[in-house]
Amino acid sequence: MKKHFILWLLTVACMQATAQNHTTLTANQKSILFTQATIHNGRGEVLTAAALGFKNGKITYIGTDTKLPVNDYDTVINCGSKHIYPGFIGMNTQMGLVEIEAVRATIDAGEVGDINPSARSVIAYNTDNKSIATVRCDGVLMCQVVPQRGLVSGQSSVMKMDGWNWEDAAYKIDEGIIIHWPRMMLFNAWWASSPEEQQQRTERQLLQLKNLFDEARAYYMSKGSGNINLDAMCGLFNHSKKLYVEAYSVREIIAAVAFGNSYGVSLVIVGGIESCMVADLLKKHNIPVIIKGTHTLPATDDTDIRATYKLPALLQQAGITYCISVEGFWQVRTLGYQAGQAVAYGITAEEALTAITYTPAKILGIDASCGSLEKGKDATLFISEGDALDMRTNKISWAFIAGKPVDLDNVQKQLYRKYLDKFGLHDN
Amino acid sequence: MKTKQALLLLLICKATWAQETFPVNGITDKRHTTYAFTHATIYTDYKTVLTDATLIIQDGIIKAVGNNVQIPAGAVISNTKGKYIYPSFIEPYGDYGVGLLKTIAAEANNENQFLTNTKGAYAWNQAIRAEVNAVNQFASDKTQAESLLKAGFGTICSFNKDGIVRGTACAVLLAPLKSQEVIIKQKAAAGLSFSKGSSSQDYPGSLMGCIALLRQTYLDAQWYAGVKSQTNLSLGAFNEQQNLPQIFDCSNWQNQLRALNIGTEFNKVYILKGNGSEYQNIEAFKKQKPAFILPLTYPKPYDLSNPWDANLASLAEMKAWEMAPANAALLSKAGFDFAFTMDGLKEKTDFIKNIRKAIQHGLSHTDALKALTHTPSQLLQLQNWVGSLNPGMFANFIITSKPVFDKESSIIENWCKGIPTIINQTTKDVRGYYSLKINGANAGQLQITGEPTAYKILVLQDTNKISATFSESFNQYLLSYESKQIPKDAIKLNGYFTDSLKMFSGSGTNALGDLLTWQATFDSSYTNLKTDTVKPDTVNIGNLWYPNMAYGNLQQPQTQNLVFRNATVWTNEAEGILQNADVHINNGKIVAVGKNLNAAGAAVIDATGKHITAGIIDEHSHIAISGDVNECTQAVTSEVRIGDVIDETDINIYRQLSGGVTSSHLLHGSCNPVGGQTQLIKLRWGATANDLKFDAKGSTWPGFIKFALGENVKQSNAGDNARQRYPQTRMGVEQVYVDAFTRARQYENEWKLFNSKKSNQMPRKDLELDALSEILNAKRFITCHSYIQSEINMLMHVADSFNFTVNTFTHILEGYKVADKMKAHGAGASSFSDWWAYKYEVYEAIPYNGKLMHDMGLTVAYNSDDAEMARRLNQEAAKAVKFGGVSEEEALKFVTLNPAKLLHVDKYVGSLKAGKDADIVIWSNNPLSVYARALQTYVDGTCYFDEATDARKREALKTERARLTAKMLEAKGRGEKTQKVTLGVHVLQGCMGVDNH
Repeated sequence: MKKHFILWLLTVACMQATAQNHTTLTANQKSILFTQATIHNGRGEVLTAAALGFKNGKITYIGTDTKLPVNDYDTVINCGSKHIYPGFIGMNTQMGLVEIEAVRATIDAGEVGDINPSARSVIAYNTDNKSIATVRCDGVLMCQVVPQRGLVSGQSSVMKMDGWNWEDAAYKIDEGIIIHWPRMMLFNAWWASSPEEQQQRTERQLLQLKNLFDEARAYYMSKGSGNINLDAMCGLFNHSKKLYVEAYSVREIIAAVAFGNSYGVSLVIVGGIESCMVADLLKKHNIPVIIKGTHTLPATDDTDIRATYKLPALLQQAGITYCISVEGFWQVRTLGYQAGQAVAYGITAEEALTAITYTPAKILGIDASCGSLEKGKDATLFISEGDALDMRTNKISWAFIAGKPVDLDNVQKQLYRKYLDKFGLHDN
Repeated sequence: MKTKQALLLLLICKATWAQETFPVNGITDKRHTTYAFTHATIYTDYKTVLTDATLIIQDGIIKAVGNNVQIPAGAVISNTKGKYIYPSFIEPYGDYGVGLLKTIAAEANNENQFLTNTKGAYAWNQAIRAEVNAVNQFASDKTQAESLLKAGFGTICSFNKDGIVRGTACAVLLAPLKSQEVIIKQKAAAGLSFSKGSSSQDYPGSLMGCIALLRQTYLDAQWYAGVKSQTNLSLGAFNEQQNLPQIFDCSNWQNQLRALNIGTEFNKVYILKGNGSEYQNIEAFKKQKPAFILPLTYPKPYDLSNPWDANLASLAEMKAWEMAPANAALLSKAGFDFAFTMDGLKEKTDFIKNIRKAIQHGLSHTDALKALTHTPSQLLQLQNWVGSLNPGMFANFIITSKPVFDKESSIIENWCKGIPTIINQTTKDVRGYYSLKINGANAGQLQITGEPTAYKILVLQDTNKISATFSESFNQYLLSYESKQIPKDAIKLNGYFTDSLKMFSGSGTNALGDLLTWQATFDSSYTNLKTDTVKPDTVNIGNLWYPNMAYGNLQQPQTQNLVFRNATVWTNEAEGILQNADVHINNGKIVAVGKNLNAAGAAVIDATGKHITAGIIDEHSHIAISGDVNECTQAVTSEVRIGDVIDETDINIYRQLSGGVTSSHLLHGSCNPVGGQTQLIKLRWGATANDLKFDAKGSTWPGFIKFALGENVKQSNAGDNARQRYPQTRMGVEQVYVDAFTRARQYENEWKLFNSKKSNQMPRKDLELDALSEILNAKRFITCHSYIQSEINMLMHVADSFNFTVNTFTHILEGYKVADKMKAHGAGASSFSDWWAYKYEVYEAIPYNGKLMHDMGLTVAYNSDDAEMARRLNQEAAKAVKFGGVSEEEALKFVTLNPAKLLHVDKYVGSLKAGKDADIVIWSNNPLSVYARALQTYVDGTCYFDEATDARKREALKTERARLTAKMLEAKGRGEKTQKVTLGVHVLQGCMGVDNH
């Protein structure tokens, strides 16, 4: 039953680019069983010499049985020593919203004004953005796409790193409201106003937020209509939306938690560089933290010089739900390595993996179908030659989003091939 | 001596003549009264004290001083028994009476101003104001003078504190006289700074630009001295003022050391006015032993009552708060000369308080008085006129109630040029217990306690203690209280005090207006309380750290003799990666690398399971730079030097050591086609700026310069207003280079003609063209910020046409497209591993760039351009393995040996080989792995980072912060004014976005 056209010639690009021998997969291979793999399930477990199979986009087999259901699958691939990982989930990104940072015409990341709950990132997500095809080659297969700017920036959505258009790529639409908590520490920098002015600004913004939430809740309770900003807020009160609050210092975090609790919304702290100092509070209210990258500088001269590398371990020890993210778009390709960075400073490799797969899915409320390698869940996964959290060994052979093979070619590889050819060089 | 006295007299006469030219409206009233101050304790100078002595003055001049002085007949005698007389203070760095020159308005908003707006035959740059003479603007001003007289000053050196070259200052007296009568030296000193002040001209836009401009001004002035064809009033004035005392206004100790560097270069001695932070690097000042002018502006304690704010206060700020009052004492102990200034003090009354604080922190009374009198008079060469009390000098002195630095001492009178200013009238001490009688009847006891400036008054009647109001003016006392005696009554008394009888007497009224007479006689039951003398050494302060901030060294680390055994050693040499091998280091060098080394005498470190590599070298860094990375104001700024502005207190030095970095190439930014000269440093954390330089310890380094191409230099991302500076296109960029190198060639030819005596006209030494000429002669090398293939190609063509080679293209993200041409030209490449999409010109950047260029035979490095990434350049190297499959051994060279080669220092660093510098890193794992940590980093065989030491430093930091927090809270509790904690943000970014690095 072999058809002669190939819908997706998987890894053609990779084959040319990396000159390795892969099994060529075709689209009519609707079910695949990978054997002899090291499987990292994203929830802390590692299976060696294991097999994973999927059909119709869902994982149908995962295990180490000696007798494998090979006949149930179109294709069986022996992975050798390769690793299978759940696709990484990039939290708090601008994937698809920005093409070139310095070119204004290519930026759709933040609206004008302070209060924009109605703005939706999902419709600005450009599936043909050139960065999308690059981050896939480092294992990032899903992203939360988040608007920036203002006090209330708008609504985030979860997007697949593949698709013909945004409708096609959307995984969970308008799942959160994004807030940048008013700055509560005083800055001393060329761009900063006087401490008094800074304080006044903070107070003004806090009042703005309070008014918005008071009115939105009243609007929700009274089943109001006709105000699209308040319409967008309603989901917070029936918990169909989460409230993502960017807050860094202890004071900001405490204030945000108190605020979130007073309105009974599901709160997520984004940033949280001092979250380890209010661990009890976060744990008590079961509030997760999205760490904005480990590859960032410590906040002050006095801060432990490796504080940002150690933060995941501190949250892990404190029992706080946390995930690791990389803000931006092209930069999101480093997600795996920013998680890997924390491994040298106190968490295990599997905990680091959880922080970019299962925990993000849990925070996003998509963990029933996504974020880990478990029977019945989406086959959103990739196969790497080596440890995918280490740039030294992360080399991706195949990737699938909900069972659909992902094109691992991109403009960078195309240019690479072009100039290999020009100079008569070869990929090693 | 005689000639100086003659000069003095002449000046006084001149002052008198000046007055005499004025017509008198009324009757002439010339007096030549002699005043005698008797029985006083007189400090004739800071170290000579006479008791029960007499001072005679006449016509504003001291006639005699001593113990056996004849009082001339007809003298007005003032009995100053129990009082103290000192030479009045000298302010060496004031601006009294000198209104700032009107600043010249800048052009309309957003217009570039490339040249000066000063009209006339002056310097090209508006910040060079040598032609300004403060004396021309000086006008005596009674109100201003009064506040200074109150603080004890008599003489002031007044500056026009504006610009880099500030012109001359005049020395004047504060006496309430006409301007003509108080100027004692028209040109007493010359002023310099690193701040362009009110200048509206674009250049200089950075600290290094200010330094370069001053340097060029010295050279221009030297050249001008031999020029007859043109007139430049600024340069002429600058030359004339070279033999005056040179006072260099610096904003901190780092700038003071930068000023000393300039002084060394041009053989100038500067008097350094700083911000009181000299203690932070006393050692560095010891070589040249400059004299200082110290402000007494101490930081306020931080308000740490909110724990989360408290977190944000840096240890550097906390230590600076604690140590600032000890600055003078520490400098004095180290043998430095210094004068005090009021400059920067908001409250003039804080001056004496802050001196007392300095005394509490260990400064002796003698040294304090010296800094207020003797030293400023010496520094300003006024020692024959003011600063001590000797016959023939100005009658400039203060009379105080107690030794001047005592807490309760007050200045009673300040005499300036023989004219008294009464400062505290109620200084007669009438404290005591008195028997009060009204109309002859006992009315209780009058108790006068407290301070003469603020008495506490009680009237005791049996068991009643009644508070009373009491005041005095010209020996007229007023006393009123509610009497509790029967009948109760409101008593209001007026009277006078008779010293010889210690008795008040006078009259008054009761509530009904009945006339009363009263007297109060001294009651012997009163005993005067001893006053507190401000004692030195009563305050403990913490130790100085190097640098004086978090993670500073408590002791400077030393080189070690060590052998690391049984490690995986990445040699970067033909031997490749050695398993189970040893590395022996001693005296800062690598002694041997190999198996089973005989390293007798060396301490053994078991490095089993560890990896050892050469230290990481960051080819493109912007850390540790003070006062702006860019001099953006001109297209060509080859005269500015990063080496002038190294910031040894940047925490990123320490942070990067923790990532295995041992050398960083500090670059000028990328906002102009020819940027500034770069500086290669070694990360010797704790050393002074000059000692961070790569070649500070005997090695050589040829010197580099930053060039830049593309969007940044054509200001594409600098906003809509940045549309004026040439170039605005890549076409213009090429022409800037062609023009610059053509000028440099012509300049070289002028010098050739002059040196071969074919021309008599000595060319003007031009630092901009000197640097370009060095490039033409392969004495200075280029590292060029570059992205797009067209521009890379262009610069190589320009270089070829002028017969030089572009040493390094940095960033070079499209290098892969022209790698063959770069190879043919001989250029190297220093790139990013995987950055792209941050600007249009990096849209075709690919992470395979390193691999392609490497395979084409180029020397390829990966750099950071980013303080964060620099901490893990080993991981960036690993990306060359991921993207394109470069071997691990070669990939590591991208951040070690290859940048060493690009920087022409591979004979010292970059690989592990006997004889090379012991710049090495001990890693916990394969250095290319994300899981590797740098456990130890050595520079010159000295351990500057070590995980265990780092843990100890964190403990020390915690303890020190706790101690200082307690001390600050206590200060707040005592009622000291506090300041809010703010988080200082040092924005250090790289080529991402538009910030021109």
